[in-house]
Amino acid sequence: MAAPEVHHLFHNPIADHSFSADHKTLAIARDTAVELYSKAGNAYKLQDELKGHDKTVTSLDIAPNSGRIVSCSQDRNALVWEPTPQGYKPTLVLLRINRAATFVRWSPSETKFAVGSGDRLIAVCYFEQENDWWVSKHLKKPIRSTVTTLAWHPNSVLLAAGSTDAHARVFSSFIKGVDARPEPTAWGERLPFNTVCGEYMNNSAGWIHSVAFSPSGDALAYAAHDSSITVVYPSAPEQPPKAVISINTQLLPFMSLIWNGEAEIIAAGHDCEAFRFQGGIGGWQLSGAVEAKGRPGMGDQREESALNMFRQMDLKGKVKDDTQLKTTHQNTITMIRPYEASGDSVRKFSSSGVDGRIVIWTV
Amino acid sequence: MSIIREHTQATLSDAWRTINIDALEEDSSVNFDTATLHPAQPETSEADVRQLTAQVRQLLRGGDAEGALRGCLEAPVYSPSSDSARDAALQTVIEVLQSIKASEMTPMLQRIYGSAGGSECLDVLMKYLNKGMAATSSASSGSAPRTPTRMTPQQTGFSQIGPRPGAPSESTGAAMSVLLSWHEKVVEVAGLGCIGRVMSDWRRV
Repeated sequence: MAAPEVHHLFHNPIADHSFSADHKTLAIARDTAVELYSKAGNAYKLQDELKGHDKTVTSLDIAPNSGRIVSCSQDRNALVWEPTPQGYKPTLVLLRINRAATFVRWSPSETKFAVGSGDRLIAVCYFEQENDWWVSKHLKKPIRSTVTTLAWHPNSVLLAAGSTDAHARVFSSFIKGVDARPEPTAWGERLPFNTVCGEYMNNSAGWIHSVAFSPSGDALAYAAHDSSITVVYPSAPEQPPKAVISINTQLLPFMSLIWNGEAEIIAAGHDCEAFRFQGGIGGWQLSGAVEAKGRPGMGDQREESALNMFRQMDLKGKVKDDTQLKTTHQNTITMIRPYEASGDSVRKFSSSGVDGRIVIWTV
Repeated sequence: MSIIREHTQATLSDAWRTINIDALEEDSSVNFDTATLHPAQPETSEADVRQLTAQVRQLLRGGDAEGALRGCLEAPVYSPSSDSARDAALQTVIEVLQSIKASEMTPMLQRIYGSAGGSECLDVLMKYLNKGMAATSSASSGSAPRTPTRMTPQQTGFSQIGPRPGAPSESTGAAMSVLLSWHEKVVEVAGLGCIGRVMSDWRRV
């Protein structure tokens, strides 16, 4: 396995990150701005700062084909940043929410995006040609608490949402005139807007931190604050699912997860490193960490001189400097995203952390 | 009329920040019972708990401590309305825990964890340990009314140095040390995830 590519950008938490399709641009949510980094040689250099929000930016997403960036913030607004020859031009989106926006993602079709919020609703936004603005429709029922995470089904109609009321839900966000009628799936056949196609919770009911559809869209995985991940296989519309598999782990909770093909899930979070889960409808299990342990140069960073050793003992009362974690990330991983994929399987994925690092991992 | 003219001394103060805006909103979490968010917990009557206790004691007398512990953990008493049933269940669990030798703890926990449904069993055990520690530490401070000052770290029993201000009796100290050593062993086997699950869980023993 190749060594991970580490970019230590700054010493602030990174709430969310997104790479452009060509990997030349990296967008980062930092405080109230969206920072754009461009690749120069092997490093990412700060190129532009998109200022438009006046509170913390909570999430952002670059549409791979159009290159448009959508960002959302605690100031209850979402902005769509259109690339123009003169730089990025922001357009305000009327979300009509009165709590912070928490999470935003483009649909795979790139004609819509969904914004989760603390207002117990999801705003599904689409562009209205005749009025020349972005409008939003609300997915409201039966969400009872803040929406923390969202994920799109490959058909751009179904939307999974995780919330602090400990439920992961699957909604239809079908919008007439924007979406083509979707093929019937195991989640549902007729899908008018705000159809609830599934509602799931764990036994021990932790907050949901992350949701993801499998590449085919026929399974849903979510990570909760009870250190578990759960995989749901739906059977047919209005029927109980074929299987709901929960894996409780000995680890700290996961903040983000992605699918690698249909038989592997990669999840990362408060343990500061990514873990693999493998399985299928018959059962899932934790199969180990992505990061190879005991890589040279990680554990004992350098030969300590005797002088250094005694200085350490004098200063800290111990020989070993144990202020460094053995993982590449030195703090919680906030988000992982596929970076390079071939077909359904992920070859590389990127992670961002509270330690201000962006790391690109080879699976 | 401009908005600015409406500002008075009252609106410029910070008093509006103390308004609980959630209470004004109909479908906010303060206006519905959060118990409706999850399936209701089964009720267990005190008689059922007594029966369970009798079975567990019989297993203990027969020398099957693991079976007794398993019996307690596979049938956790959640019944939300009956405090006495839950307290009785806690007493039974503590009785079992005290009867198990320190050297047997880890192998027994590993066997339970390795078996089907073992992870849940240890989560339940962790819940009982937390409740037990809360109960013994409040009992140790006598019958004085609960005040915030009693919530100091020493009072929760995590400090082992010197006598605690609450001056616990010998027996509660012993019970606490049993619970603490079990806590350590459970975390070794079930990991930190176990603590997180107990804290996030709605089902309270």
